[in-house]
Amino acid sequence: MLKKSALLTISLAAMLTASLAAAADTTPEDAKAYRTSVMTTLRGHIGAASMYVRELVDDNGFLEAHAEGLANGARELKHIFPAGSDVDDSEALPVIWEEPEEFQKAINNAEKATAAFREVVSGGDKAAIARAFRDVGAACRGCHDRFRVDTD
Amino acid sequence: MTGFASILTDLRSLASLAAAGVLFAAPPVHADENLIERGKYLIHAGGCVTCHTTEGDEAVPFAGGRALESPFGTFYTPNITPDRRTGIGNWSDDDFVRAFWDGVNPSGEDYFPAFPFTSYTGVTRADLLAMKAYLFSLDPVERANREHDLPFMMSSRRAAGAWKSRYFNAGRFQPDSSQSEEWNRGAYLVRHLGHCGECHTPRTRLGAIRDTHELRGNSDGPGDEKMPNITADPDAGIGRWSLKDIEYFLDIGMLPDGDFTGGSMSSVIDDNTSRLTTEDRLAMATYLKSVK
Repeated sequence: MLKKSALLTISLAAMLTASLAAAADTTPEDAKAYRTSVMTTLRGHIGAASMYVRELVDDNGFLEAHAEGLANGARELKHIFPAGSDVDDSEALPVIWEEPEEFQKAINNAEKATAAFREVVSGGDKAAIARAFRDVGAACRGCHDRFRVDTD
Repeated sequence: MTGFASILTDLRSLASLAAAGVLFAAPPVHADENLIERGKYLIHAGGCVTCHTTEGDEAVPFAGGRALESPFGTFYTPNITPDRRTGIGNWSDDDFVRAFWDGVNPSGEDYFPAFPFTSYTGVTRADLLAMKAYLFSLDPVERANREHDLPFMMSSRRAAGAWKSRYFNAGRFQPDSSQSEEWNRGAYLVRHLGHCGECHTPRTRLGAIRDTHELRGNSDGPGDEKMPNITADPDAGIGRWSLKDIEYFLDIGMLPDGDFTGGSMSSVIDDNTSRLTTEDRLAMATYLKSVK
C-alpha cells in the first residue's frame, strides 16, 4: 500500500501535468485568472496579518480569520497551476511544470508554514506568532525564488 | 544583457561545484572575540557569504566556487577561508585592505569588477580588519580556486586594469555633515558595504555604474532579473513606502502589499539584511528615502 506522501506526490504530479481539456469549461485564461485571484487573496491575508505582527495594529479578533484564510489558500495552491495556464501575463514560470516534484516541495513548505502560523495564532503568543510569520515569509520567498517571474 | 550587475549572480541556476576535495586543516589562531563578532556582522552586512559559497547542500561557507554568469563570461568566486595554499591565509592586513580599497590582489594584479570593490572602496580600514579577523577565525578549507571562463579579450588581468583606469575611483566614504548620523550610517551601508547599487543602479554598455542614476533600477540585472528602482520616487521607486515598510522588507522580504520578494533579493534578505540590527535597517531606509 502506498504511503500517504507518495499518494500526494502522484496526485499532484498528475494534476500539474493534466491538460486543461480535462476541465470542460475552463479555459487557460480562466485558470490563470482564478490563480491570480487566489494569490491576491493570499496577499491580502498576509498583508493584514503582518500589520499585527509588526505591532502596527491591535488584533481586533480577526487575526485568526486571516491566519485561517492564509492556511486555506496555501492548501489550494496545489490545485491552481494546471498545465497550460501560463498564458497572457502569467507570472508562473515553466519550471513549475518542468519540475513538478520540486514545485510540490515548495508549495508543501508554504502549506506547512501557514498551518503552523494558524496554530500559533490561536495560542496567542506574540513572539511565537512573529517567528511563525517569518517562516511563512521564507516559504513564500522559497517558492517565488524559482517558480515566479521576478516582479519586484 | 549589459552590465556587470549580472556578474553578481545568477543565484539560483548555477551548477553546484564541489565540496568534493574539501579538507579541513589545523584551526587558526583566533583574534579578539569581540573583533571577530563585529567582523561577522560586517561580513553579513557586506553580503560576502552568498557569492563566496557555492550552491548545494554540501557547500562550505566562504570556500568559493560560485559561478557568476555575465555577458563578459563566467567568473568563479575564490576561496576566502584562511587556508594558506588555496585561500587567503597568507594575506596581511594591508593585502586585505588593498583588495577592497584598490581592487588588486596581493600580487598587485587587478580584480575584475565581479568583485564589487567599486563599492567596497568606501569601507573603513577598521571595518575591513574586523571582517578579516572573522574570516581568519574560521576553519581553513583547502579548495582550489577555479579559473574564470572568459572570452579571449577578457581573459587577461590587463583588461580588468584597463576597465579600472577608466571607470574606477578609489576613495573612502565621506560623511555628509548636513545629514543625520542615521542617514550617514545608511549611506555607508547602502553605497559601500551593502553595495546595493551594484545591482540596482543601471550600467553603461561596458559595465560602468551610472552614478547619475543611483538606484534607479537595472533592467539587465543578474540572471536576467529586472532590478527595481529603489529611489524615493513615489511612482517608479519606493517613495510611498514608509521607513518601517522598508525596514521590514529588509528583514523578511515582504512588500507593503503583502507580496514577498524572490530571486536574488531573497538571498540578500537571508544572508545579509535580515542579519542586521533594526537600527541599521532603519538607517538604510532613511538613506533610501532620500535618494531622488
